[in-house]
Amino acid sequence: MRLFQARSRISRHALPWVVACALSFASSLPASPLLDSDRPEYPPDTTELDSQARDCLRCHAMETLAYRDPETGEILDLAVDPRLLSHSVHGEMACTECHRRSYRRYPHPEQAGRETFSCVGCHEDDPEDATYQFLSIEEEYARSVHVAPGASEAEDFSCHSCHDPHVFRVSRVGKEIGQVVRDDNRVCMSCHRELTDPLDTTHAWLPKRDAHWASVRCLECHTPPSDRAERVSHQILPAEDSARDCVGCHSSDARLLNRLYHYRSQEDLARKGLIAKALFNEAYVVGMSRNPTLDALSLLVIGLTLLGLTAHGVGRYLTYRRRTNRQ
Amino acid sequence: MRSLYLYAGWVRLWHWLNALLFLILILSGASMHYAGTPWLLDFETAVTLHNTTGILLTLSWIGFVAGNLLTDNGRHYRIRFRGLLDRLFEQSRYYAFGIFQDAPHPFHVSAEMKLNTLQQLSYLGVMYLLMPLLLLSGWSFLFSVYLPETLFGVGTVWIVAMTHLTTSYLLVLFLLVHLYIITTGETVLTNLRAMVTGWHRERGEPQ
Ligand code: HEC
Ligand code: HEC
Ligand code: HEC
Ligand code: HEC
Ligand code: HEC
Ligand code: HEC
Ligand code: HEC
Repeated sequence: MRLFQARSRISRHALPWVVACALSFASSLPASPLLDSDRPEYPPDTTELDSQARDCLRCHAMETLAYRDPETGEILDLAVDPRLLSHSVHGEMACTECHRRSYRRYPHPEQAGRETFSCVGCHEDDPEDATYQFLSIEEEYARSVHVAPGASEAEDFSCHSCHDPHVFRVSRVGKEIGQVVRDDNRVCMSCHRELTDPLDTTHAWLPKRDAHWASVRCLECHTPPSDRAERVSHQILPAEDSARDCVGCHSSDARLLNRLYHYRSQEDLARKGLIAKALFNEAYVVGMSRNPTLDALSLLVIGLTLLGLTAHGVGRYLTYRRRTNRQ
Repeated sequence: MRSLYLYAGWVRLWHWLNALLFLILILSGASMHYAGTPWLLDFETAVTLHNTTGILLTLSWIGFVAGNLLTDNGRHYRIRFRGLLDRLFEQSRYYAFGIFQDAPHPFHVSAEMKLNTLQQLSYLGVMYLLMPLLLLSGWSFLFSVYLPETLFGVGTVWIVAMTHLTTSYLLVLFLLVHLYIITTGETVLTNLRAMVTGWHRERGEPQ
C-alpha cells in the first residue's frame, strides 16, 4: 500500500490564498489534441452532492484557489470542480470521509502530521463479487514500470498520480469509444508530455501515430493482454516488453482491442455488416474491418473467372490438337 | 511475314514497370487486408512497401497519360463509334466460337490501330476510370488524417476503403483476363513477344 504524501502546509499568515497564477499556469500548457481539456460538459447541477461538501465548495469551487508552497516553490491547486466531483465515483461522499474532520472549521486549524489516503485502504473490504477488485489491481500496480524496483520516481508515485479522487469516474459499457480513449490517454499524457514533441522518436515506427493515439489507448500496447476483456490491467510494461505487434489489432481477431471494444453498447454490438458500421462511424481498421461476404464474393468471382479462362484454354488446345491430327 | 513496329520504347518500359508495380501492390495489399494469414508479408513491411509502390504507380500512371498526350500513341485510344456494336459483337463471337474453329481473327492489327475494340474499351475503362479511382482512394488513405470525419453521414474512411477494395478486386480480375487474352494472338507468344521487342510479327503479305 502506498501512502499519500501530503505536502507540508504553510503558515496561514503568509497565505496569498488566491493565486491568480494558477490560471496562467493552466493556460501555458502546450496545445495538443491529447492534452486539450475537453473534459465532459456537465450542467452546473450539484444537487447530488453531500450537504457538507457543498459547504466546503463555497470556497474550494473557486478555480483560482491555490497557493505556492514556500519550500518547493510548487503551486498547490486547491480547487475542486463541483461538476466533475458530482459525476465522480465519490460524488456522494462527504469531504471529511476522506479529509480530517477539523477541516470543517475555517480558518483550517494548523495540524501536525500528514493526511494519508489510500484507495485500497478503503476498498479492500469490498465483497468478492464487487465490480472492481482492488487487491488484484494493487498487485498489478506493484509490478508496473512506474513503481517496480529500480523505478526512479517510485517514491512519488501512487494511485493518485493517475486518479484524482475528486474527478475519477470509471468508463462503463456504452460510453463512446473515442471518449474512453481520450480520457484514459489524457491520464498518461499528463506526465508523458515529451511524447507530443514532434522530434520524439519513441513511436516513430508506428505510422500515423496521432491517428492511433486518438483511436486506441496507450494501455492497449503498454499492458499485458488478458483473457478477461472487461479488465483494465494496471501492470504498465517497460518499453522493451510493450506490444509492437500490428497484427494484434490489424487482423480479424484483433485481440489487443478486446478490452477497449468491450465498452461498446449492446446496440453497437448488434450492428452487423459493413454498411451499418460505416453509417455509425466506427473506425475502419485495416485488416480488422473485413466483411466476409464481400471478400468471399470477390474471391468467388475471381475463382470463377480463373476457371472459365482455364476451360477456354483447354478447349482451344483440344480443338487445335483435333485439327492438327486431322491434317 | 508481316512486321509492324507497334510498341515504342517508352510504352514497353511503362508497361513492364506497371506490371511489376501491380504484382507488388497485389501482394502487399493482400498482406494487409488478410493480415494474420500465413504465407503473406509481415504487416509492417507490407504497409511501407504498399505506400511506396502506390506512389510509384501514380507517377507511372501520370507518365502514361502524358505519353499518350505528347506522342501519337494516344490515337489507339480514340474510339470510333461507327459500327462499334458490330465490332464488339464480332470480337466476342470470335472468342466464344471462332477461336475454337481456327476462324480468321476478325481484327487486323495495323499501325493506326493496334487494339481491337474489346481491348480498347477495357483498356480505356481500366486506365481512365479504375486507375484514377484506385489512385485517388489510395492517396486519400495516405492522408486520411486530413479528411472530414463523415461524408453524407457515412464514415469517410469507410467510403475510401470500400472504393479502394472494390477497384483493386476489379483490377485483379482485369489482370487475370489480360494475362489470358494475350495468348490468343496468332501463336500463344505472338503478343507477348511484341510487348518485349516492340515488333508485331505475323504470317501474311508485308504491307
Ligand atoms: C472559507 C473558505 C473555505 C472553506 C469553507 C473551506 N476551506 Fe479548505 N481551504 C481554504 C483555504 C483558503 C485553504 C488554503 C490553505 C489553508 O488555509 O489551510 C484551504 C485548504 C484546504 C485543504 C488543503 C490543505 C493543504 O495545504 O494541503 C484541504 C484538504 C481543505 N481545505 C479541505 C476543506 C474541507 C474538507 C472543507 C469543508 C469541510 C473546507 N476545506 C472548507 C478555504 C476554505
Ligand atoms: C475519496 C476521498 C476524498 C474525498 C471524498 C474528497 N477528497 Fe479531497 N483529496 C483526496 C485526496 C486523496 C487528495 C490528495 C490528492 C493528490 O494527491 O493530489 C485530496 C486533496 C484535496 C485538496 C488539496 C489539494 C492537494 O493537492 O493537496 C483539497 C483542497 C481537497 N482535497 C478538498 C476536498 C473537498 C472540498 C472535498 C469535498 C467536496 C474533498 N476534497 C473530498 C481525497 C478526497
Ligand atoms: C475514504 C475511503 C475511500 C477512499 C480513500 C477511496 N474510496 Fe472509492 N469509494 C468509497 C466509497 C464509500 C464508495 C461508494 C460511493 C457510493 O456508492 O456513492 C466508493 C466508490 C468507488 C468506486 C465505484 C465502485 C462501484 O462499484 O461503482 C470506485 C471505482 C472507486 N471508489 C475507486 C476509488 C479509487 C481509484 C480511489 C483512490 C484514488 C478511491 N476509490 C479512494 C470510499 C473510498
Ligand atoms: C499509470 C496510471 C494509473 C495508476 C498509477 C493507477 N491507475 Fe487505476 N486506472 C488507470 C486508467 C487509465 C484506468 C481506466 C479508467 C477508465 O476509463 O475507466 C484505470 C482504472 C481503474 C479502475 C477501474 C477499473 C476498471 O476495470 O474499469 C480502478 C478501480 C482503479 N483504476 C484503481 C486504481 C488503484 C487502486 C490504483 C493504485 C493501486 C490505481 N488505479 C493506479 C490508470 C492508473
Ligand atoms: C505521474 C506521472 C506519470 C503518469 C500519470 C504516467 N507515467 Fe509513465 N512514467 C512516468 C515516469 C516518471 C517514468 C520513468 C520511470 C523510470 O524510468 O524510472 C515513466 C515510465 C513509463 C514507461 C517506461 C519507459 C521505459 O523506459 O521503459 C512507460 C511504458 C510508461 N511510463 C507508460 C505510461 C502509461 C501507458 C501511462 C498511462 C496509463 C503512464 N505512463 C502514466 C510518469 C508517469
Ligand atoms: C501501438 C502500440 C503502442 C501505443 C498505442 C502506444 N505505445 Fe508507447 N511504446 C510502444 C512500444 C512498442 C514502445 C517501445 C519502443 C521502443 O523501444 O523502440 C513504446 C515506448 C513508450 C515509452 C518509452 C519511451 C522511452 O523513452 O523509451 C513511453 C513512455 C510510452 N511508450 C508511452 C506511451 C503513451 C503515453 C501512449 C499513449 C498516448 C503510448 N505509449 C501509446 C507501443 C505503443
Ligand atoms: C492497439 C491496436 C493497434 C496496433 C497495435 C496497431 N494499430 Fe494501426 N490502427 C489501429 C486503429 C484502431 C486504426 C484506425 C485509426 C482510425 O482511422 O481512426 C489504425 C490505423 C492504421 C493505419 C491507417 C489507416 C487509416 O485509416 O488511415 C495504418 C497505416 C496502420 N494503422 C498501420 C499500423 C502498423 C504498421 C502497425 C504496427 C507497427 C499498427 N498499425 C499497429 C490500431 C492499431
